[in-house]
Amino acid sequence: MGAGGRKRMSVIAQELLEAVVNRLPEDSLTPVRQAALAEFAKTGFPTTRNEDWKYTNLATVVELSNAYLANASAFVPHAEWTGAAKRAVDEILESIDASWIIVANGIIALETLAKAESLESQGIHISKLSNGRANLAIISDDPMTSFNAALLLDGLQVGIRSGAYDAKPLGFLFFDDAQNGGLSQTRLIIDVEADANIDIIEAHVSIGSDAQFANTVIQLNIDDRAQVGYVRIQDRADTHMQIGKLITALQRDAVFDYASFDFGGSLIRNDVAVDIAQPGATAILNGLYLAGGRQHIDNHTRVDHRVGPAVSREEYRGILSGRARCVFNGKAIVHKGADGTDAEQSNHNLLLSKTSEIDTKPELEIYADDVKCAHGATVGQLDKSALFYLRTRGLDQDEAAQLLTRAFAARILTAAPIEATHAYIGQRTEQRLDELISGDTP
Amino acid sequence: MLEIKNLHVKIGDAKILNGLSLTVNAGEVHAIMGPNGSGKSTLAQVIAGHDDYVVTDGSVRYDGRDFLELAPEERAREGVFLGFQYPVEIPGVNNAYLLKAAINAKRRHNNEGEIDAFEFLQLAREKMKGLDIDPAFLKRGVNEGFSGGEKKRNEILQMVMLEPRLAILDETDSGLDIDALKVVAKGINAMRSPERAIVLVTHYQRLLDHVEPDFVHVLSEGRIVRSGDKTLAQQLEDRGYEWVREAESA
Repeated sequence: MGAGGRKRMSVIAQELLEAVVNRLPEDSLTPVRQAALAEFAKTGFPTTRNEDWKYTNLATVVELSNAYLANASAFVPHAEWTGAAKRAVDEILESIDASWIIVANGIIALETLAKAESLESQGIHISKLSNGRANLAIISDDPMTSFNAALLLDGLQVGIRSGAYDAKPLGFLFFDDAQNGGLSQTRLIIDVEADANIDIIEAHVSIGSDAQFANTVIQLNIDDRAQVGYVRIQDRADTHMQIGKLITALQRDAVFDYASFDFGGSLIRNDVAVDIAQPGATAILNGLYLAGGRQHIDNHTRVDHRVGPAVSREEYRGILSGRARCVFNGKAIVHKGADGTDAEQSNHNLLLSKTSEIDTKPELEIYADDVKCAHGATVGQLDKSALFYLRTRGLDQDEAAQLLTRAFAARILTAAPIEATHAYIGQRTEQRLDELISGDTP
Repeated sequence: MLEIKNLHVKIGDAKILNGLSLTVNAGEVHAIMGPNGSGKSTLAQVIAGHDDYVVTDGSVRYDGRDFLELAPEERAREGVFLGFQYPVEIPGVNNAYLLKAAINAKRRHNNEGEIDAFEFLQLAREKMKGLDIDPAFLKRGVNEGFSGGEKKRNEILQMVMLEPRLAILDETDSGLDIDALKVVAKGINAMRSPERAIVLVTHYQRLLDHVEPDFVHVLSEGRIVRSGDKTLAQQLEDRGYEWVREAESA
């Protein structure tokens, strides 16, 4: 993202975007696309002048997007995966026992829907957004969600019925292998009905050495007393960029237990917004980002405590090596009258190299009186006294350092919900840490 | 076994040890006593190899070899164990993992095969029973959230599992109630053998009521100012450290 030799275009060519959007086949989503297009025209992509994007420069994403828009008709979107692509997909499918719904290159394929139909008997209803109710609330209230809605080919609407409490985890695998660069937009709208209990996995996998940009928006409503375990796994190819947004609303006594794992990608921005709309809700957000090489991983979270009592707990941890640059911004807003709010957030970082960098900012804004809030952040190297202690027990310097590094990450691994994901996440964490510790990262 | 001659040590600009000499032979139990700041813990840390401490003069030999040139982990594998005054909390690393890694590091050093899981568990269970430690302890993070007494007991567990030839226990008795003290003392006494030496670093005499030392040394201002048998500890208890200082300056 540094100053390149040539000047980079920093804005999306709106007329190209319009032309591409207007060429999309007419369907029930057309009004949504047109409205989003108009919304996006007001702002364009966010720049670093925007406080929320201060440390994440989207110049490369804009450049790639413009190149794509100029030649969009040349890109033939496909939803098949063979060879290396199949191996990448199968690795996840075979490692994590879940009911998997695959969205390849942003396309809702027939196979996807066939698979979805088989879940109907388990209380899980999935249909195309374009088949959905006309009043479907596709959120497009910020630049990236508008861009997503404007270019959306289609998306999925997911209903988890109250009776669904014994199902396997429901996995969504977002897979991209667009050649010659490309863009994909995906949107899920998930409604978890009252008293339902469901585990949801959001996995991002991609292959290919050309730059690629995926823009994902997930809307999740958790109704009264429903419980959702949620694991996000991001393991994209090292030239691929992704911006993801998860917009969650929690109703009365709802529980949202979320853990996020970033292993891959070149530029990753992950936004999680949790709206505590009704009393008694619990939101748990955990995250682990493992970045090396020149990776840029930005995690932004925002929890709106609109009412109390309610609990939010957040802990993100990062391990950085090489020239990695990471960003953490965790905001908890306790609105006026949200008495009985109990909010904690923390961010801890381990820097394995002098050239890696973290910008961390846990933020609390409190407008209520009766609240319990705490936040904190740390950035550092391995604890010297712990290293010495381990060495006095016979472990050599490297072994001790590796053990402590793994222990640092283990905190988040053990806190993650959805048992079925643990072996895979643990193994990927091990592999990634080996790469970070040995400095063997792209 | 351990031969310390004229040891001078500083940390930063502060001189802590000023010509300390001490010889410890196999089969012996030594107690090193002294007031706060006399250099007791520094001595323990220097023997274990902490690199904050700089040896400016003197020597430490172990089995006739220069011990100071060895890294901390090499010292451990050679059979030297330090029981910490303030054991470090290591969240995320469980006790079983650390114990096994420590045992295997030593076994590899001695060209022995690694301990198998079953053998390890049996050994750990047996030793934990002897120290009144709950078996669930193995799965907990090293010293994570432990009380002071649990931490000290954990040090003793590590010692009995590792079977060092030379054990240096730094203030292992501090922070223990009388029951815990008895358990810890039992663990230490079980370690006594003609092949092994134990150095107890302590401020108070109370541990010595349960673990009888062969020699007692009094440390003051970085040197051993008086040595004797176990009766010296009793005298110190009765008369206080001022007595030694006065005798010293008289």
